[in-house]
Amino acid sequence: MTFEPAVFEVEHLGCSVGGQTILSDVSLKVLQGEYCAVIGPNGGGKTTLVRLLLGLQKPTEGTIRLFGEPQKQFRRWKQVGYVPQQVTQTDRLFPGTVEEVVSMGRISGIGWDKRWHDEDRRHIEHAMERMEVSDLRAKLIGELSGGQRQRVMIARALASEPKVLILDEPNTGVDQPSQQRFYALLRQLNRDERLTILFVTHDIGVIADDIVRVFTVNQRLSTCNDPKRLLSCEGMSELYGIDAHLLSAHHRH
Amino acid sequence: MLELFQYQFMVNAFLAGIMIALLASISGAFVVLRRYALLTETLAHSALVGVAVGILIETNPVWMAVAAALISAWTIEYLRSFFHLYSDAVLAIFLSGSLALAVIIVSLAGAFNSSLFSYLFGSILSVSREEVWTIFAVGIPALALLGYFYKELYFIAFDEEVAKTGGIPVTLLNFMLVSIVAVIIALSIRIVGTLLIGALMVIPTVAALRFRQGFSVTVGLSVLFALFSVAAGMLLSYAFALPSGATIVMCVLLIFVISLVINRR
Repeated sequence: MTFEPAVFEVEHLGCSVGGQTILSDVSLKVLQGEYCAVIGPNGGGKTTLVRLLLGLQKPTEGTIRLFGEPQKQFRRWKQVGYVPQQVTQTDRLFPGTVEEVVSMGRISGIGWDKRWHDEDRRHIEHAMERMEVSDLRAKLIGELSGGQRQRVMIARALASEPKVLILDEPNTGVDQPSQQRFYALLRQLNRDERLTILFVTHDIGVIADDIVRVFTVNQRLSTCNDPKRLLSCEGMSELYGIDAHLLSAHHRH
Repeated sequence: MLELFQYQFMVNAFLAGIMIALLASISGAFVVLRRYALLTETLAHSALVGVAVGILIETNPVWMAVAAALISAWTIEYLRSFFHLYSDAVLAIFLSGSLALAVIIVSLAGAFNSSLFSYLFGSILSVSREEVWTIFAVGIPALALLGYFYKELYFIAFDEEVAKTGGIPVTLLNFMLVSIVAVIIALSIRIVGTLLIGALMVIPTVAALRFRQGFSVTVGLSVLFALFSVAAGMLLSYAFALPSGATIVMCVLLIFVISLVINRR
């Protein structure tokens, strides 16, 4: 077996903004093909961690490596798919069809002629099919339900042929049946195509069966390698007492 | 009606007007989608500072307007991206600051007269052949740049952060867009006037958005609305001896009202 570098390898990462520490001494490793979750209280630094990984924010200390390369030298950003937090109210009017929005995922890899080639079209089609939004292609993004919109955003990320998908609380404002379908699609992507997934959420119960690792972030980060027994992991219960009922709810069914 | 075009000034005005309508509506689409409509008003007032300086030192006011609008656009964009100020507050500061400065310079030049009036509200009679060349020489490259980068600009308008993570040079393209907008505004002051150009950049897109179509159709509609308003506005301006900027804006407003009525929902 050939050696595959870790998708993310973070060492002693620290981040302060205006003298206030948001993250300190954070180290983590996500391997290729893994499905990991990031949990933690609001304001605990989850979103900051995501922004640091994506290079949207600069760390005050520590190093980040992507696919073995230091972040500064990393150029293959289209291999990193990002699905941001859903803001349900915005862009009801935005003039974009589902197909136009999914196509955005190919823009960063577009050539000098700025045209879509057969390969681009194929990936756009494939991404829409995988997320089951092909039949919505001509609909405006503002006319979709929360669940449909969420799948379109993932299709956009998939169109760039990513090796890893980062989802930042994508399930806000989405109804329960849509969420179930959404988790099933993510599970498929991870199992069938070995897509690495980093899922930021406050509701870990629903994906506890799929994930291999949980990172708990509350300024500091702890790693739990046995998500099904999260509470027994070191440092978890005092950090995350509020999740106890979510986990037990999950184990009831 | 065709005998109108026997007059050289009318041909000049129409050529310039068509180019301005194309530029204003296409660049305006990206500006509106980014909730940055007030930028156009602010840059128009900055362009007025250039006009005032041009009148004071007796050089071509249009080039001075281009320079002033560009400097203002870059300063605003710089403040917005590096100082984390509220963008609408920055725009408001520049808008009134520019106007105050322009009024002082115009007073010093003793030029509160009809020539200034034509820069404020547009005057088709004043467009020279040379100015038509200038508008085309600058307008065609600007259109080419907007066309070449429209996919990227669209992505940025939809979601700036995600575009950035995809490796798209967001900061550079933002500077390019505001520069193009600044130049268009400065060039169009002869036709539409500084106080009214904002309307021609913003309203066609807002009206087109009412039709709830995808991006390409929306931009197409917006271009049509702008072309129609400019052509109709210039004819009205000629027929009733009114400032062309005002008649153009009335036409585009009419289209906006119609688009509201037929797209009630």
